[in-house]
Amino acid sequence: MSERLWSTLRSVAPPVVAIAVGLFVGALLMLSFGFDPVRGYVALFRGSYGSPEAWMESLAFSTPLMVTAITFAVGMSAGLFNICAEGHMYMGAAGAIAVGGMVSLPPGLHLVAATAAAMLVGGLWALPAALLKMWRGVHEVVSTIMFNWIAFWFVLYLIRFHITDPGRAERATPAMITARYPVLGGSLTGVIFVVIAFCVAIYFLLWHTGLGYELRLAGDNPDAARYAGVSFRRVILLTFLIGGLAAGLAGGSQILGRPPSWTVYATLGNLLNLGFQGIGVALIGRNHPIGAIFAAVFFGGLAHGGRFMEYEVGVSAEMVGAINGIIVIALALPEILRIVKRVRAVKE
Amino acid sequence: MSMTVGRSALAIFVVLLIVVGVGGYYIDPDPDSGFDPEAGYDDGYDDGYDDGLAEVPPDTDGDGVPDEFDACPTVAGLPEYGGCLKPPKITVVSDVGGRGDLSFNDMAFKGGEEAETDFGVEMIEIISSTEDDYVPNLRLGALDPDVVLIVGVGYLLTDAIIQVATDFPDKDFAVIDGFAPGMPNVMSILYEEHKGSAMVGALGALLAAEYDYPYIGGVFGIEIPVLWKFEIGYKWGVNWAMQWYEDTYGTPAPGIGATPMKERVLYTYTGTFSDITKGYLAAVPMYEQGAVAVYNIAGPLGLGINDAVNELAEAQGLDSGPPFWIGVDANQDWINPGFVVASMMKRVDRGVYLATQLVIEGTFRDVVEEYGGIVVLGVGTEVSGVSISGISVSTLADLDEFIAMGARAEELTGTTILPGTPSEIRAAVEAMRNAVPDWIWDAIDELAQEIADGTAEVPECSFGCDIDSYRDIYG
Repeated sequence: MSERLWSTLRSVAPPVVAIAVGLFVGALLMLSFGFDPVRGYVALFRGSYGSPEAWMESLAFSTPLMVTAITFAVGMSAGLFNICAEGHMYMGAAGAIAVGGMVSLPPGLHLVAATAAAMLVGGLWALPAALLKMWRGVHEVVSTIMFNWIAFWFVLYLIRFHITDPGRAERATPAMITARYPVLGGSLTGVIFVVIAFCVAIYFLLWHTGLGYELRLAGDNPDAARYAGVSFRRVILLTFLIGGLAAGLAGGSQILGRPPSWTVYATLGNLLNLGFQGIGVALIGRNHPIGAIFAAVFFGGLAHGGRFMEYEVGVSAEMVGAINGIIVIALALPEILRIVKRVRAVKE
Repeated sequence: MSMTVGRSALAIFVVLLIVVGVGGYYIDPDPDSGFDPEAGYDDGYDDGYDDGLAEVPPDTDGDGVPDEFDACPTVAGLPEYGGCLKPPKITVVSDVGGRGDLSFNDMAFKGGEEAETDFGVEMIEIISSTEDDYVPNLRLGALDPDVVLIVGVGYLLTDAIIQVATDFPDKDFAVIDGFAPGMPNVMSILYEEHKGSAMVGALGALLAAEYDYPYIGGVFGIEIPVLWKFEIGYKWGVNWAMQWYEDTYGTPAPGIGATPMKERVLYTYTGTFSDITKGYLAAVPMYEQGAVAVYNIAGPLGLGINDAVNELAEAQGLDSGPPFWIGVDANQDWINPGFVVASMMKRVDRGVYLATQLVIEGTFRDVVEEYGGIVVLGVGTEVSGVSISGISVSTLADLDEFIAMGARAEELTGTTILPGTPSEIRAAVEAMRNAVPDWIWDAIDELAQEIADGTAEVPECSFGCDIDSYRDIYG
């Protein structure tokens, strides 16, 4: 076996072991409640990846997660624990509705403008937390948690009073036909291509530009970065901006690219937690922009396939959630350990 | 050495993963289901989904029944070879309210359970936890060849039903409260809430006359056209009752009769369907001003109205109303026995039952075509010549099934819901009903009769209606 193959295998091994451990513990859980784990997993994975239709639904669930994962992954690369994706995503959705649902523009341009609005609003929402961090040293975990809540209530207020669908109290104005991504099948729309392109662009920014190098250096080795004259303020601003654009796109993708509603419900029910799930996706994807794409596909598969476990095998919804959670934790563990190790090293 | 162990362990895992992954496609999870994994989800229809099977099974004797089913008994409503198949299934997909809401979703599942007993179908409950679940949850049933009917509970699922029903033209769908006209395979089931509201409006007004109160009240949710239907119906009912009293007894009604016509109903749009406190805050001043009963048209806000009534009852040491409140959708009389005088019942369960019955009898699509996809259930309504009511004022007779629903919800949610044992509840409600004079109940029956035979016409003000012109008349 050549060295190269061996080293590839070694980097693949942790997630493979993690999947096996996660599936095994999940199986024990099913067994202890009297369900057949083989039938359960077959239903789960056939439901999520067993047919073209299943793929389309799973990918629809994974689309927003790809970009909310970017928010966390880029933060991690720069050594920031940025958990603001949830709030940016709400704001991005509101931006998408404001332009996609309330302004009339020619086809094509409308879609571009609405998508850009979603990203810009998400990006702007990142500024306060970024400035607080840059100039006052406010820790991003504290500030972003608070900004998430501000965004939550602000968007609820907007839905209630400013972007309301007249006659439909339960939701905001839907995106106009001209501001909707074409449906590829089922719930999947063309917005997935924009999302993947964004992930790839972030990969190039991080690994093939000087700016990206500075960002990663600030995260990997702050002392070296300082020595090399990297501006930490610039890194913070860049990190937050990318995070805001990414999460804003995630919010926009649910408005402009998710049938049948093409809008946000007054409960925010179709947005809730997509930002926080992005953290798990980023951890599984080892905080890599391309890894995030694959991890999101896996996550979306669990989100969609779980219902088949319930439908075909009778596993209760709560248990499906628990089994999915175990698999996710097992998968995220290698990356969590790596982060802990790195934080320790930086402290020493 | 350790390297070799590591390598073999890795190799084993990779092999395992491949086995699990590939096996996932080819292992049949349920050998009895007739599911052939290599064939995909074959539903026996030529529906454009490539399931790899010939769409027309062999039929050598040419009698239209495939060979393998030639020896099967016939079952009404099913394909001719239905006798060999397992019981057909229906799926009932909830909105985000889910199980245990004691109203909409629970009633739909109740209708499904009754259909199980009467038609031998198997109902599968599917709970939607977020709005993104509607489409995939509806597709679950559409993909299952044994499922003959997919029901979406609540107008929130309308868009999702239209999408999935377009993708699966060979499956039958029903949506409660949704409006999806003109699709051959979708039945939209709507209810005449304005007529039910008129009846409880009349009931409240006559109670106010009997107990000498100047007002009745209504706590509404968010002001949307659907709720105008309730508002105008309710106000119309008050007017009917005042007219009826004068016609019957020759004098204007006491109490509320002395209040100017346009001021008899105190009402508030709270702007919410979830904030129970706002229901309480809206109801308290109504009772203070002298409302004999407050009608709940805001779902869970009824619990806030209930708090307001309880406060008064405690302060005055009452076991039973007045003051009362009036329930909505389900029979809510058991929530606070003695203080919920009646409920405007919208029989979601009847809708699910009817749709199942039509599918089993094989007339579903004919009925959909006959009515353009919109079936309205109300007071004394008929569907294809069969009478089926979807709106009524609650009675003692239907109390028990809703107490049972509360007991079921207690099991599901693990919290105490029923205010006492079923027999205690029943006794308290019965005592309250007996304390209300018979002439009032008789008057409500009379109104129901007039509505059913068309002599009384309740105005319907909903989408596209000029609400102000109605408020000019009724206040």
